[in-house]
Amino acid sequence: MTIAGFILRNALRNKRRLTLTILSVSLSLFLFTTLQTALRELTQPPSTSDSALRLITRHRVSLANVLPEKYQYRIQQVPGVEVVSKFTWFGGIYQDEKNFFPQFAVEPEKIFRIFTEAKVDPLELDAFIKERTACIVGIKTMERFGWKIGDRITLRGTIWDCNPELVIRGVYREGIDETNLFFHHDYFNELMNDLGVTGTFWLRVRDEAAVQPVIDAIDASFRNSDAETKTETERAFQLGFVSMFGNIKMLIGSISTVIVFTMVLVTASTMSMAIRERMRELAVLKAIGFNGRQVFSLILAESFGLAMAGGLLGCVGAWALFSNIDVYKATQGFFIKFDVTPHILASGLLLAGLLGAISCIAPAWASIRMSVVTGLKETD
Amino acid sequence: MPSIPVTYNLRNIRVRWRTTIATVLGVALVVSVFVMVMALARGLKSTYVQTGDPRNLLVMRRGSTAESSSQIMREEMIRMKYLPGIARDAQDRPYFSPEIIVLIYLNRLDAQGGANVIVRGMGEMGLAVRPNIVLSEGRMFQSGRRECVVSRRVANRFANCLIGQSFRAGKAEWTVVGIFEAGKSAYESEIWADADEVRDAFNRNFYGSALIRPVDDAASAALVRRIESDRTLSARVLKETDYYKDQTKTAGPIQFMGGFLATIMSIGAAFSAMNTMYAAVGARTREIGTLRVLGFKRRSIYLSFLLESVLLAGLGGVIGCLMSLPLNGVATGTFSWTSFSEVAFEFRITPDLLGKGMMFALVMGVLGGLLPARMAARKPVLVALKT
Amino acid sequence: MTPIVQIRELTRVYQQGEIDVTALDNISLDIPDGDFVALMGPSGSGKSTLLHIMAGIDRPTRGSCVVRGVDVAKLSETELAEWRNHHIGFVFQTFNLIPVLTAFENVEMPLLLTGLTASERRAHVEAALELVGLKDRMHHQPRQLSGGQEQRVAIARALVTDPTLIVADEPTGNLDAKSATEVLNLLVALNRDAGKTIIMVTHDPKAAAHARRVLHLEKGELLKDEETPR
Repeated sequence: MTIAGFILRNALRNKRRLTLTILSVSLSLFLFTTLQTALRELTQPPSTSDSALRLITRHRVSLANVLPEKYQYRIQQVPGVEVVSKFTWFGGIYQDEKNFFPQFAVEPEKIFRIFTEAKVDPLELDAFIKERTACIVGIKTMERFGWKIGDRITLRGTIWDCNPELVIRGVYREGIDETNLFFHHDYFNELMNDLGVTGTFWLRVRDEAAVQPVIDAIDASFRNSDAETKTETERAFQLGFVSMFGNIKMLIGSISTVIVFTMVLVTASTMSMAIRERMRELAVLKAIGFNGRQVFSLILAESFGLAMAGGLLGCVGAWALFSNIDVYKATQGFFIKFDVTPHILASGLLLAGLLGAISCIAPAWASIRMSVVTGLKETD
Repeated sequence: MPSIPVTYNLRNIRVRWRTTIATVLGVALVVSVFVMVMALARGLKSTYVQTGDPRNLLVMRRGSTAESSSQIMREEMIRMKYLPGIARDAQDRPYFSPEIIVLIYLNRLDAQGGANVIVRGMGEMGLAVRPNIVLSEGRMFQSGRRECVVSRRVANRFANCLIGQSFRAGKAEWTVVGIFEAGKSAYESEIWADADEVRDAFNRNFYGSALIRPVDDAASAALVRRIESDRTLSARVLKETDYYKDQTKTAGPIQFMGGFLATIMSIGAAFSAMNTMYAAVGARTREIGTLRVLGFKRRSIYLSFLLESVLLAGLGGVIGCLMSLPLNGVATGTFSWTSFSEVAFEFRITPDLLGKGMMFALVMGVLGGLLPARMAARKPVLVALKT
Repeated sequence: MTPIVQIRELTRVYQQGEIDVTALDNISLDIPDGDFVALMGPSGSGKSTLLHIMAGIDRPTRGSCVVRGVDVAKLSETELAEWRNHHIGFVFQTFNLIPVLTAFENVEMPLLLTGLTASERRAHVEAALELVGLKDRMHHQPRQLSGGQEQRVAIARALVTDPTLIVADEPTGNLDAKSATEVLNLLVALNRDAGKTIIMVTHDPKAAAHARRVLHLEKGELLKDEETPR
C-alpha cells in the first residue's frame, strides 16, 4: 500500500456519501460551465484574422435606417477597400414565424470574397451567381429544414413588402455563421420596384493597416449628407449588439457566483462530516508518527480529489453533452454554437480544485490543532 | 399510531446546526435563484400584458410582425382616419393616431455603452387614445416642433433626457419638454414626438401603424372587417392589447433559463440534503433503537426523519424567499428582438412565485429525506441499540 | 547503564474551566532498558497522563522526561511526530485499527513514513505479524477479526518500526479473559525474548502481575514501586 492508496481507501470509505457529493459538485460545475459558455456565446463574437479585415458601413442613426445604394461607388473609390457588397437584412418568414433564421440580400459575386473563411464548392458558387433567383444557404439551416440543392423556397417579407421565391443552388460551411441565407440584391431590388436602398455595406480592406483610414475616409465622405454613415469593424459591430443585452451579463455572472458559493457550502459540509467522524483515527495516525503537515496533506488530497472528480464529471460532461447535441436545434436557434472552449473547461477545473482546497481548510485545521490525547478520547 | 413529536426534530436541527446549515443555505440559494430569475421573466411579461388599451385597434401592413417594420402611406392613413365607427372627442376629432417608430441609439447614464430606444412619432390624438398615460412633468410636445416627451424610465436611464436637455437624432436636435408616466407598461421605454417631424427628420415618406379607438365593440368588429377587406389598404388589424400580449414570448428564454437552473441546482441541493440526513440517521442510530424500544413503530420513525428533512428544506425555502424579496420592484432592462430596442421593466415577485419557490424547497426536502428515512426505519432494534 | 527513561520532578497541571487540576505532582522515575512496567491506580490517578507524556503525545507543565537521552518536552510538534514514529509503539484499549485497511496494511502504516522500499516493508510487516501469530490473517479487515486478534494486529503495528518503547493503554480493557491472557503472554514474550521495553497502564491486578515491576499512582503521586515476583 502507498499513501495515495490510503487516501483513496479513505475517500471510498463511505461510498454513498462520496457518490452524492461528487454528483452535487458535478451538477454545480456542469451549470457553471454551461452558464460561462452561454455568456461567452452571447458576448464574445468569434474573431478571426479575416474578420478583422471586414468593415460594416451603416446608417449613423441606427440599423433600422437604410442607406442609398449609390453610396457604393464612393466607398469603392476609397483607397484600401478591396471589395464592397450591398448587404440587406431581409428578416422574412419561412412558412412559420418560429422558423427564424437570418436572410440577407447581397451581391453574389462579392459575398464570398468578403467572407473568405467560408467554404463553398466553386461549381455551386458559380450556379448561385448566374441565376437571378438563386440563393446559397449555410449548412445548419439546410439540415434544420432538410433542404436539398435545387429546392424552391418562398420567404414572406415582414420588413420589406415582397416575397422572394428562391431556388437553392449552393451550400456553404465553416468559417462564418452557418445559418445564413444569401440571395441576390438585384432580385430584391427588382421586387421592391427599384427602391434603391441597402441596409448596410459590408467591405473587406486590403490589410489591417488600412482599417482605420478606411473607416475615417468613408464616414468623412458622407458627413452632412441626408444619411450620415457609421463604419466599424465586424467585431465592434457585433459588440454593439452585445451591449444591448445590458444586464444579462451581470445576471449570469451573479448566478455563477451563487452556484460556486453553494458548491463550497456543500463540499465543505461533506468534508467536515467526513473528518469529524474520523477524529480518532487521525489522532492514531498522529500517535504513530504522522505530523500535522502530513495529516493535513491527507485530508487536502482527499478533498481535492473529491472536488476534482466532481469537476471532471461536470465540466467534461458538459463538454461532451454540448459537442454531441445540436444546440442550434435544441434552443430553436437562440444559440447558433455552444462551444465549451478549453479556456472555460480549464477555469471550471481550476474552480473545482480551489473548491476542494478551500472547503477542507476549516475542518482540517481543527483536526490538526486537536491534541492527540483529546482525539483518542473521541467516540465515533 | 403514536407519532414522534415535531419538537424532537426541531431540537435536532438546532443541535446539529453545523451540518444542517450548509444544506439549509444550499436550498435557500436554489430557491432565491429560482425566484429571482422567474421574477425577471414575470416582470418582462407583465410589462407587455399591461401595455395597451383593450378598446384600441392597431393597424399594420399585412405581413408585418412588428410596428417597426410596418409601412402605411399617408393617403391610406387619411382614408382610414374618417372611417365610420371611430370615436370622436368634444371637438369632433376622431380618436386616430398615425404613428411611426424609429430607433435611436442613446448612451446610458450609469454605465458605458448604450442601447436602442424607441422614438414613437404620433398624431395629435396620440395621448388621447392612451388615457392611462399621464404627463407628470412639463408639457406635451407641440405639433410642428422638434420637441419630445420622454418616459420617466428613459429619463432616469439615459443621458440628455431631462426637461430642457436635448439630443441629436436623425437630422434634428430634439428638446425634451415633458416626462410621462406609463405605469409599468412597455411605453415606459419610449420617447414620443410629433409623427410628421419624426418622418421628416428620419427621411420616411411613410407611416408605420395607426392606433384607433372605435365607438364600441360592434363598431370595432365592423372596422376590423372594413379595413382588412379593403384590398388597396392591404392592412392587418388587431387589438392593441393582443399585439403586446404576443410579445410576452420575449421572456421565453429567461423563463427557460430559470427553470433549467432551478431544476439542476435543486437536484444538487437534494443530494446535499440526502448527505445531511444520512449523517443524521447515522449519528442517531442508538436513539432510533431507544425510540423503537419505547414502542414507536417503524412508520413513526420513517415519518419523523422525512419530516425533519422537509423541515430543513422548508427553512431553506423561507430564507431563500426572504433573500430574493429585496429585488422586488428593482428596475432593469433587456433587449427585445421584436422591437430591436431596450425594454425597461421591474422584477416582479408575487405570492404565487414565492409559493412555487417553497414548493421547490419542499420537493428537495422530500427527495433528500426519502432514502435516509427508509434506512432509519429499517434498522433492527438490537443492532441499533448495540452500536 | 543509563536508564532508557529518566523522569525528573515531573508535574502536569490541566486547566479545567476555572480550576487547575494537578494530574501529576512532582514525579521522578527511572525505567531501565528491557523493563516491563505496569502503571496502576484508580481513575484520575494520573497513570494515563504519565504514559502519554512518555509517549510524546502530551507535554509536562514542569520537569523533564528524557527518553534515550532526548528531552521529549523540548521537541516541536513536528519533531515529536517523527520521534514517535522512531521510538514509540502504541497499543490502545480500543485497538484503533483503521477499518478500511487490512491487517497487513494497518501494520504497514507507520512504515510509510520511513524510507523503506515496498519489499523491505513487506518483510518487516510479515515478520511482525508472524511474531503475533497472525500471518495467515494478514489480508483480513479488522471487522473480520476477533477482539483479541485485532489487539494482536495493533501490537504488530506497534512493533514493526522496532521502537525504543512500547506503550500500552489498558490493552486488555476491551477483551474477554482468554484473549486478554493471550495478549499479555504476547507482551511478556516480547519483553523476555525480544528485549522490548514495555510500559502498560492497567487497573487490572491480574494484568499487572505479568509485568516485572508495578508502579502505583494516586492523585498524581507515586505511591509504591514494587518488583513482581517471578
